[in-house]
Amino acid sequence: MIPLLTEISENLQSGKAKIVKELVQQALDAGIPVKQILDEGLLSGMNIIGKKFKNNEVFVPEVLVAARAMNHGVAVLKPHLVDANVQAIGRVCIGTVQGDLHDIGKNLVKMMMEGKGIEVIDLGTDVPPATFIDTAREQGCQIICLSALLTTTMGMMKEVVDAAEKAGLRDQVKIMVGGAPVTDAFCEQIGADAYTPDAASAADRAVELLSAS
Amino acid sequence: MKRDMKAWKADLIASKTKRAMPILSFPCVSLMDITVAQLTSDPELQARGMKLVTDRAPTAAAVSMMDLSVEAEAFGATAHFMPGEVPTVKEALVTTPEEAVALQVPAVGAGRTGKYVEAIRQACQLITDRPVLAGVIGPYSLAGRLMGVSDIMIQCYDEPEAVHTVLQKATDFLAAYVLAYKAAGAHGVVIAEPLAGLLSPILAEEFSEPYVRQMAQAAKSDDFLVIYHNCGNNTPVMMDSILRTGCDGYHFGDAVDLSRLVGRVPKDLLVMGNVSPSAQFLSGTPESIRENTLQVMAACSPGHPNFVISSGCDIPPMSPWDNIDAFFKAVDEYNAS
Repeated sequence: MIPLLTEISENLQSGKAKIVKELVQQALDAGIPVKQILDEGLLSGMNIIGKKFKNNEVFVPEVLVAARAMNHGVAVLKPHLVDANVQAIGRVCIGTVQGDLHDIGKNLVKMMMEGKGIEVIDLGTDVPPATFIDTAREQGCQIICLSALLTTTMGMMKEVVDAAEKAGLRDQVKIMVGGAPVTDAFCEQIGADAYTPDAASAADRAVELLSAS
Repeated sequence: MKRDMKAWKADLIASKTKRAMPILSFPCVSLMDITVAQLTSDPELQARGMKLVTDRAPTAAAVSMMDLSVEAEAFGATAHFMPGEVPTVKEALVTTPEEAVALQVPAVGAGRTGKYVEAIRQACQLITDRPVLAGVIGPYSLAGRLMGVSDIMIQCYDEPEAVHTVLQKATDFLAAYVLAYKAAGAHGVVIAEPLAGLLSPILAEEFSEPYVRQMAQAAKSDDFLVIYHNCGNNTPVMMDSILRTGCDGYHFGDAVDLSRLVGRVPKDLLVMGNVSPSAQFLSGTPESIRENTLQVMAACSPGHPNFVISSGCDIPPMSPWDNIDAFFKAVDEYNAS
């Protein structure tokens, strides 16, 4: 491992956004390939944070600051990623279902997925089923991720599954569900493809689904 | 009517049979055929609702509506009402250190807080066979609503002074609010601090513990109990900090294995929880909630007379009463066995 990339990874894990930004620029200036900076510096650091979060070694605030540091680093890399033909491993859209304004779980999943090199289109909160479907179709998303905190809104997840079916998209898109009241049994009951109990597992599962598609 | 709440707590601990004290208030909407929005804006309906709950359910104490939007609304935030759900707050009021300094502490009575205090005053007149406890949000959870729940966590690292400024203002308001409940006749308060349950232990120690302790010290007396509630999943790793808040009881959610926590709470303090409000009270069946209640009691009761069976959090408004009744029947069944 190139020491500079290790340094990027470590500073990202500590949430030091400004330093990460500077180090990524240094790595570019040193001629390290863009993909290597992304994979071995930024994504590697975020992967470690994801694992630590899963093991209760770090907590939500530490994930938030690490993700912010990653975004600062990615912003420096972005113009070079296109030139180097570095592509995301897949594209998903994510949102909290209609009627639900809670977004912390959704935001964590988004950060963890971005940390795996997935492009995430964030539709925000209180998202109508049609918006998920239209986005998936127009943007070519392979996965739709649905979040709900409220027991009264988790029923909207089935409406999204039904809408995907009706739109003829069901064979092309996987649907993942999550949130405090959601369970594996509920996922199966509404005909969604995957439920995961936490953000890090959601990112792992998304990678599996993308690899299989 | 004042009560000797220290004696009430001691009796609860000494009792040979377990009494249940779930956070049960919002399901009164189905008994009254009203909406949650009507309930949360009308003190008379709230008091009548609490009375109806006590008429139906053998709770150890009556607990008021846990509407955790009301305090942020008093500071100027907008409460959003969704059908069948407790209101929530979305938009942050404080986004910069300057706004933290400029934030005004409202007087008790601002927004709907006056209505909630009035509801407790009326409830205390209607309910005389058991204590009446008010519910308030905790300081970090209120500051999170004022600054944004994700943003405040980042600000704990970037702008800790601004977070402390908002926390102190939140605490000043909450302490006054709790004292208003006390003056209205409440016999105690449940402080809901769920957002702190997402923090790391070090951050919780700095950004939640001292402020909850301030609230507890301001309100506690022989005739007034302070119960701490946190349904976050990190409570096991922050137990020492939680216990240093100096409350009379600790109430935990179903995200944790309560049997591993009960032994850590001193024997003269209450430890309460944790039948799932969503998976059991709302979405379960009478049989599943019976089974889960018996499981929790079997796991937590032996050797822990200070354990009180409860819900893991506020029971959702639309929870079927068949499930709620089944919870109390399961407690009776456990006691009979």
